Amino acid sequence: MIVLHEVCKQFMQGDEEAHALKKVSLEIKKGECVVLKGSSGSGKSTLLSLIAGLMQPSSGTISVEGKEISKLPESFSAQLRREKIGFIFQKFHLIPYLSALENVIAPLIPENLPVRILEEKAKIAMEQCGIAHKAKMRVNRLSGGEQQRVAIARALVNNPSIILADEPTANLDETLSRELIASLEALKHSGVTLLIATHDPLFFELPFVDRIIEIKNGEMIL
Amino acid sequence: MFFKPNFLLLDYAIRSLMRRFGKSFFIFFILSLLIFVLASVLMIADAIKLELNTTLKTLPQITLQRFIAGKQSDVPLERVEALLDIEGISAVTPRVWGYYYFKPAGVNFSIVGIDAYEEQYSATLSTLTQRFDIKLLEKENGMIIGEGVQKILSENYYTEFFNFITSEGKWQRVHIAGVFHSDLALESNDLIILPKKLAYAIFGMDKSKATDIIVKVANVKEIPTIVQKINERYPDMRAITQDDIRVSYQNIFDYKSGFFLALFSICAFAFFIIIYDKTSGLSSEEKKEIGILKAIGWSSDDILKEKFYESFTLSLSAFFVGITCSLFYVYALQASFLRNLFMGYSALKPSFALPFSVDVSMLILLFLLSVPIYIAATLIPAWRASTLDADEVMR
Repeated sequence: MIVLHEVCKQFMQGDEEAHALKKVSLEIKKGECVVLKGSSGSGKSTLLSLIAGLMQPSSGTISVEGKEISKLPESFSAQLRREKIGFIFQKFHLIPYLSALENVIAPLIPENLPVRILEEKAKIAMEQCGIAHKAKMRVNRLSGGEQQRVAIARALVNNPSIILADEPTANLDETLSRELIASLEALKHSGVTLLIATHDPLFFELPFVDRIIEIKNGEMIL
Repeated sequence: MFFKPNFLLLDYAIRSLMRRFGKSFFIFFILSLLIFVLASVLMIADAIKLELNTTLKTLPQITLQRFIAGKQSDVPLERVEALLDIEGISAVTPRVWGYYYFKPAGVNFSIVGIDAYEEQYSATLSTLTQRFDIKLLEKENGMIIGEGVQKILSENYYTEFFNFITSEGKWQRVHIAGVFHSDLALESNDLIILPKKLAYAIFGMDKSKATDIIVKVANVKEIPTIVQKINERYPDMRAITQDDIRVSYQNIFDYKSGFFLALFSICAFAFFIIIYDKTSGLSSEEKKEIGILKAIGWSSDDILKEKFYESFTLSLSAFFVGITCSLFYVYALQASFLRNLFMGYSALKPSFALPFSVDVSMLILLFLLSVPIYIAATLIPAWRASTLDADEVMR
C-alpha cells in the first residue's frame, strides 16, 4: 500500500548539504499501524511529508496505493492527498479565523461540491471525533484537546485510507493523549492505515500498533 | 470547462480579506482613491474638451485683425464693402469689442457692441437679439450682461445700472436691461452686450473703425483660398480661422494637462509602492496558511485561484467604487476644486455644467492599469509560496 524504495532527502543548510533521510526503504500494508520513533530532527516528519507528497524526494521512489507519488504532477499529488490521506499535525495547524466546521470543510473546498454535501461530510467526521457540538465555534476559542479533535475530524472528512500523524500528542496532556490514542485505535479497527511519527512512549506499548520503526540520523534502524 | 467558478473558494477568499480587515481596507481605500482621482481628472478633461469643441463651433469662420507696427489696430470700416467683393465671402460683419477693467473686483469684462440691423455672428448674440429688443437698448442706454458679470456688479451694489468710465474720463451710465445665461458659459460668463454707439463711447473709438471684422464664407473648404486673397489685398490684416483658435485652445489645454500629468504621476507612484509591497512577499502568517492548505489537499492551482478571487474581489470593487465616486464628483458635484485647475481661479471663471462625456477607452485603460496589475502583484508572491514545500512554509 505504501512503498518507499531507497528514499533520500537532502536539504541545503547554508552552504552545506544536510541529509534528512538516507536510503530509506519501507513497506506498509493496508490497515497496518506503524509507529516511527526517534528523537527530534531524526527525519520522522520528513518521511511523513514525503509520503503525503508535500515534498519530493531527492532520490528514490514512493508509491501510495500503487501510484508513484514522487513522480506525480503537483495537482495530482494534492488530489491524492485530499482523497486518500489524512494528516494530523503536532501543532494542529488549524486556520484560526474559521469555525471548527469550516476548518473541517476546508480540505473539500477545491472539489466544488454543494455546501450541503460538504456540511454533511464534515458533521459525520466531527461526530466521530466528538466535537460536533462545537461546530460553530472559532477554533482559536477551543481548548487544545478540542482543537486536536477538530484537526482529526479534518483529517477524516474525506474517509481517507491512510492517516499520517506527526507527533499527535506533543501538545496534549496525558488524558487528552489517551483520548487521541482511543480515536486512532478506532480508526485502525475500521481498516485505516496508520503511520504515526512520535517519541511519546505511550505509543510504544499499544496493542494495536503492529510495528515500531526507529529512525536515527535519517536512517532506519531495524 | 476551463474555468468553473467555485463559490466556496470565493467565500473563503472574502473571509480571508475580512480577516485582514485593516490591511485589506487600506489597500481598497488607496486603490479606490487612485482610481477616483485618475478617473475624475480624465472625465473633467474630456468634458472640458467637449465644451471647448462645442464653443469652437460657434466661433467665426474667419476673424480679421489689423496690425500696425506689430500692434493690433482698429480696422477702417470701408474695408467691409471691399471684402464683400472677394468671391466666396457671403457676409462681413465689423465688430466693436474690448475689455473693461473693473478695479473693485480686479476683473476684466468683455464688452461687445452690437447693431440691431446687422446679422449676428455668433449663436449667443443671435439668441440675445431674439430675446431682447436691441433697438430699445439703444434708446434707453441699456446693456445685457452675463451671469458672472451680474454677480460681480451686484456684489458692488450695481444692481440696476453701472457707471462706465470712458477713455476720456467721463461717466457713462448704462442700465442693466437683462441678464443672460448661455449653454456656452465659456464664452458668455464675463460678457456685456450693449449697443455699438455705447461701445464706441466707452472705448473712445473712432466711429469709422471697428475692432476687427468677422467673415463668413459660403464653402468652408474655400477658407484657405479666401484667407490668401485677403492677405494679398490687405497685407496689414491677419486672418484667424477656427482651426487657428482650436490649436491655440489645445495648446493651453495641453499646458494645463501638465498639472494633471504630475497628479497622475503621484498616483501611479503611490500605486506602484503598494504593488512593490505586495510583490515583495507574503507575511509569515499567510505563508503558513498556504502551507496548511497544501498539506490538507489543496494544489498550487487551488491556492492561486483563491488568491485570484481575493485580489479580483478587492481590486474590482475598488475600481467600481472609484469610478462611481468620480462620476458622482464630476457630474453631480461638478468637480469642485479640480475643475479650477483647468479653468483658472479668475473671479469670472466660467460656471458651466460639465457635459456628460465618458470615454469607454479611458475606463478600459484605467481598468487595465489597476485590476490586472493588482491581481498579478498578489498572485506572484502567492505562486512563489505555493511552489515551496508545504512542510517548509509551515515550520
